Amino acid sequence: MLSVRTVKDLVGHFAKQNRLVLIPLLVVLLLAAVLLVLTQGLAYVTPFVYALF
Amino acid sequence: MSATLGISANYHDAAAALVVDGTLVAAMQEERFSRIKNDPSLPLSAARACLALAKLDAKDLTRVVFYENPYRKLERVLTMSLRTFPRSLTQFPRAIASQLSGKLQVLDELSSRLGVRRDRVTHREHHESHAASAFFLSPFERAAVLTVDAVGEETTTALWLGEGRSLKALERIAFPHSLGLLYSALTAWCGFEVNEGEYKVMGLAAFGQPRFRDEFTKLVTLAPDGSFSLGLDFFDSHTNTEVGFSPKLEALLGPRRSPGTPWDLTSDRDRRVADVACTLQTVLEEALLGLARRAKERTGANALCLAGGVGLNAVANARLARESGFRDFFVQPAAGDAGAALGAAILGALDLGDARPAPLESLALGLPVTSDDARTIAKNLGLVATPLSGPDDVAELLAKGEILACAEGRFEFGPRALGNRSLLALPTPIAVKERLNRVIKRREPFRPFAPAVLEAGAPRFFEPFAERLAPFMVTVAGVKAEARPSLEAVTHVDGTARVQTVKADSRFGAIIDAVGRRTGTPVVLNTSLNGKGDPIVASVADAFAFFLGHSADALVVDDVLIRKP
Ligand SMILES: [Fe+2]
Repeated sequence: MLSVRTVKDLVGHFAKQNRLVLIPLLVVLLLAAVLLVLTQGLAYVTPFVYALF
Repeated sequence: MSATLGISANYHDAAAALVVDGTLVAAMQEERFSRIKNDPSLPLSAARACLALAKLDAKDLTRVVFYENPYRKLERVLTMSLRTFPRSLTQFPRAIASQLSGKLQVLDELSSRLGVRRDRVTHREHHESHAASAFFLSPFERAAVLTVDAVGEETTTALWLGEGRSLKALERIAFPHSLGLLYSALTAWCGFEVNEGEYKVMGLAAFGQPRFRDEFTKLVTLAPDGSFSLGLDFFDSHTNTEVGFSPKLEALLGPRRSPGTPWDLTSDRDRRVADVACTLQTVLEEALLGLARRAKERTGANALCLAGGVGLNAVANARLARESGFRDFFVQPAAGDAGAALGAAILGALDLGDARPAPLESLALGLPVTSDDARTIAKNLGLVATPLSGPDDVAELLAKGEILACAEGRFEFGPRALGNRSLLALPTPIAVKERLNRVIKRREPFRPFAPAVLEAGAPRFFEPFAERLAPFMVTVAGVKAEARPSLEAVTHVDGTARVQTVKADSRFGAIIDAVGRRTGTPVVLNTSLNGKGDPIVASVADAFAFFLGHSADALVVDDVLIRKP
């Protein structure tokens, strides 16, 4: 799990003025993703092309 | 005392670099330890090896600096997914899984796995790390710095001004407009593996003609101000990560080449691929010249520094050195993401008040081999080990036409072997190249080998070249017509060679010099000591593993010669 410091930095990053709009989106996406990961619905496979993410 | 560890990881070849009191003391890629080529996993072995070499403990570290901003990376993944919705739906779950399965918490991970307090672990920005690696290791007090790669957080290209201990960001170009991604997508189209095949595209380009200029104007637009943009219809990196290009690219350039088919450069199909590679190379060079022109305009500096994966393109570097209009030019030779660990470490050290590091003189920043180990392993394996009296003995064997696997001193940082982990041979006859390409390294027959030449002897064999780049093998030079017969195995089809200059007072220099006294040509063919798909040899054990699996004539470890019975 994430450390307190990382959560603080993460929130700090997205709380910057021009990124405020991203926060609701981020929360929803992260929740969905955490659920997917917890239910083992996802496995990351390295794609053939340049690793973008 | 201050000790700063720089780390790059999670996407390409992971690496660790250690700066102690302003001196770069060690830098190593994780692949040399895990033996997985371009291993992107957290470089814990490399980090521990750096510490061990400096006789430090993890708790002695003042700072650990990760080379990029994990939060901004997540932001890019999210915003790109939004922008390309709903096409991104197929990739989004994967992207998020990749972010959450370790990348987001990389700083926590570094802290706990290395045993360093969390508040000592920080991060910088991806292109800032690239820029720092180039400028702070250059000899320049003031320079324009270009960083050009596939993508960092979201920047793909940036222009900086370096002055003394400071680095100022001036301009950026953002994802998805990226020269690195353009090159990668076309590498995939050529049927090569992305992140590995870019060198092959560069080698292939020499066989082609740039006859697809019109088609390429649709792929990439070069603006008069030096910026560029991609025709995004043709690239599909956020929705199709399998190849990174869309069907429109195949409609424009023809069907992609199937990976692994044998090459026949006399066939129409493969000539077409070579022509596309050649056009790509030409367009890349022009794009870089545009960026350099802009850099000159904005900074008025006399010197230019370059880093980022595109800086590994030795052919483009040679053109930049000739035509960029800068008086002096330095490429940080581990220009890819591994080398960003150097920049991260230096940025951390400068923050702590350390002096700026000395200009980069040598890349021998890895662990050393010892002849004692070699003798022990040889005995255990039942191989014949005999002592060598010095470089002269090695030269004697080379002059007889032997191909030698050589491991000496510390292994090099970055993608090139510069003599310490090298396969050495005479630069002639052409049969040497055939034997190396087909039997030992098992790679495409069109790929060239590099000549290592004594610094002082270089003008005899090569047209003028960028002298600051040649010690690190990041440029090419024309081979003089009269020298070509004696350099057959190291001259590429277009009459150039990726020349490496070597100082006479080094051991490698002494070997080359002694070869010169025997053959009249102080030049040695130098290619990295590794088999197909393997990372370059690091330890003595790796060297023996290579030697047993490949048909080199003998193995030289320091002053010990090992032969198969
Ligand atoms: Fe990069």
